[in-house]
Amino acid sequence: MSDLDRAIAQLRACRPIPEAQVRELCHKARELLIEEGNVVTVTAPVTICGDIHGQFHDLMELFRVGGDVPDTNYLFMGDFVDRGFYSLESFLLLLCLKVRYPDRMTLIRGNHESRQITTVYGFYDECLRKYGSANVWRYCCEVFDYLALGAIVLGASNTLEPSKRPVGPNESSTQEYINPDTEIEVLNSEGGLISSIPRQKPKVFTSKGSSPAKTGPPGTGASSFSKGTAGNSSGAVLCVHGGLSPLVDTVDKIRLLDRKQEVPHEGAMCDLLWSDPDEIDGWGLSPRGAGFLFGADIVKTFNHNNDLSLIARAHQLVMEGFKEMFDNSIVTVWSAPNYCYRCGNVAAILELSEDGSGDGIIARSNGDVNRSDGGIMKEKEKVLLNGPARRYRVFQAAPQDSRGMPAKKPVADYFL
Amino acid sequence: MSDLQRAFAKAKLSSYPATMPPTIPPFIEADEEEEETGHFDIESAELPHDDDSSSASSASSASSTGTIIPSQNQKLFARPQGSPNKRTMDQIPWTTYFERELFLPSPSADTTITHHVYLTSPIGPSAPLFITHHGAGSSGLSFAALTSELRKRLPNAGILSLDARGHGSTTISPSQETEILDLSLETLSSDLLTVIERTKLQMGWETMPPLILIGHSLGGAVVTDVAKSGKLGNSLLGYAVLDVVEGSAIDALQSMQTYLSTRPAGFPSLESGIEWHIRSRTIRNSMSARTSVPALLKHDSEIRSSRSWTWRTDLAATQPFWEGWFIGLSKKFLEARGGKLLLLAGTDRLDKELTIGQMQGKYALQVFPEAGHFIHEDLPEKTAVVIVDFYKRNDRSALVLPPKVSDMLRAGKKV
Repeated sequence: MSDLDRAIAQLRACRPIPEAQVRELCHKARELLIEEGNVVTVTAPVTICGDIHGQFHDLMELFRVGGDVPDTNYLFMGDFVDRGFYSLESFLLLLCLKVRYPDRMTLIRGNHESRQITTVYGFYDECLRKYGSANVWRYCCEVFDYLALGAIVLGASNTLEPSKRPVGPNESSTQEYINPDTEIEVLNSEGGLISSIPRQKPKVFTSKGSSPAKTGPPGTGASSFSKGTAGNSSGAVLCVHGGLSPLVDTVDKIRLLDRKQEVPHEGAMCDLLWSDPDEIDGWGLSPRGAGFLFGADIVKTFNHNNDLSLIARAHQLVMEGFKEMFDNSIVTVWSAPNYCYRCGNVAAILELSEDGSGDGIIARSNGDVNRSDGGIMKEKEKVLLNGPARRYRVFQAAPQDSRGMPAKKPVADYFL
Repeated sequence: MSDLQRAFAKAKLSSYPATMPPTIPPFIEADEEEEETGHFDIESAELPHDDDSSSASSASSASSTGTIIPSQNQKLFARPQGSPNKRTMDQIPWTTYFERELFLPSPSADTTITHHVYLTSPIGPSAPLFITHHGAGSSGLSFAALTSELRKRLPNAGILSLDARGHGSTTISPSQETEILDLSLETLSSDLLTVIERTKLQMGWETMPPLILIGHSLGGAVVTDVAKSGKLGNSLLGYAVLDVVEGSAIDALQSMQTYLSTRPAGFPSLESGIEWHIRSRTIRNSMSARTSVPALLKHDSEIRSSRSWTWRTDLAATQPFWEGWFIGLSKKFLEARGGKLLLLAGTDRLDKELTIGQMQGKYALQVFPEAGHFIHEDLPEKTAVVIVDFYKRNDRSALVLPPKVSDMLRAGKKV
């Protein structure tokens, strides 16, 4: 058993590893992450997860529901730390798994992966409490600076694979109801079916010559088509913690950012980690004090210009665990059940399955696969790429062991 | 003299040590008279309340007179009192911070309340007006230090800081000797609206400047209530709430009376009052304490002890209103229109509603771990930076958002 495996075992038991090991781990992780681009390319199948916020026991529940590493390929969309009581164990475990299985674990940066935020919302204090010094916090923050800003999922199928999870004796097996026309399937934590939504007919049809203005060779559009395997699947899925930025109109612009720094207060990098979709037209002021609000028109145009079928993001608490918006062009995935041990919400993870058969989206994209012919898009004639088939597994908070739980915050003594 | 007062006097007299000389440092008295002439007529009206509080806590006041420092903080202030490098505790007058004070009489059925406000006018039509409402037991000068930091960054901004009824120099006539002062949220909210309207009238402003409401503690509940009412219309850009959260405020109320009873009932001089606030770390910034504390105390010549500087506001007597101030605060805070900023001291004591709201991105949250409850007095500069930033983000005249897709298409641009 290697040191790394030992560290993983220890962290799985929710016990921190010694400072020297953390240092070594962070060093290795940096070497690994520095090689990654700002936008990591991930191939389906993949399980996409949202905020964790130091809720270690719920992260264990997530692995139980979604399958263990390396059996399942995971993509975590940031906010590993702060608020929960086990930010340290949660982040270090994910980092260990990243170092141990680099191709089966993708970590991207959230707005809480920042020095400034962690000093206020708990991670810094936790490191100080558990190690007596801020060294571990400092090592972790150096890793934060190297985390990718986003990921592109390629090769996701538009049909669901049968669920691999074992099902309980009283549940119907997912094998029985799997239907090639299922677009969205929602399962409970034991793999039982909650709901299943068949694929709609394509919402908007394109007419000849109404393709987007896109020039340049394949590969510049950050799309699944860049591999030249036209129509092998649905469009690509962009994963980012927060959302879009007015300064970023193509995925390639994300690739050009210099990410190895503390999250700035403004600018493209800040927006990607802070923005939220909202029911507005165009861009709006974010009440958070950082980033922007962006409306359906922004998302649809961005997806269209970048040959994306879906944006997956986290960052906002959704009581139901996940929420699709704007004609299924963007989804929020939230993976911290009963957030802060008090919000009463459920959590979700999103599974995209692999397109093995090659009978992907072709038939559903109106045959117009070669959309890069440089025409001018007319209003209301946007092509919305069909999203990949999506399986959401919804789960509840793990039963909490109250041992080791820090005492309740002291009541303020003066509040008038 | 009412029965209550007689009873109090008896209790008070019996608790005095026979040897304690009833002396008052004369120079302070002179200072005070100079400072406060003209708006001191509320004193007699407030007397009964103060009597109540003192008699209610007379059991503990005997012990609390022995020490100025709450015991748990003793180690932090190990330096002897007579330290040679003792800082000055002289008070700083309000004129250092504000352009003027206004007395705004507002008659109602049987009483006239004269609202007292400190004002620095905004310069120019688009300059914002920050309106501040202090917490219970505090005064408009609580924001003095903050205002100078705000003006450093926004030289044209105006600031309106009021004394709520029963606080500072706001007076009610005829004085309500026997009744409990109405400090319900409803009354305080309508007071705030009245003050804003009357200030506009008195100053001859043609239009209402863009407004940012800032409320500390109880004041936070008041500005949130006013924002939720929508009565300020479009001129309200946003509201900032300083260190109050419904859930944790309600929790803390249970221990409020205990806390209040640990406060000294009075001080021998203004300077010692200022010193107590600094040494007990109630206010952790001596400049601010030297400005704001004098407005919290009044000289009571009827008290024949050395501690004749007593609280202007009897906080214990406001207890019937406490719950009403805070219930529903989180909901209103999230629902009201306008930019929302919550500034907390210490740790983030968010309740469930605000935790969800925060993680859904509905408002901006700032936590200053190093500040005490009087966050704007302890860290006026940092608070000002956050508030100025908040204003700039919500300033509609300066806001330029990227174009909408439909507008770009109309303009014939490729998107």
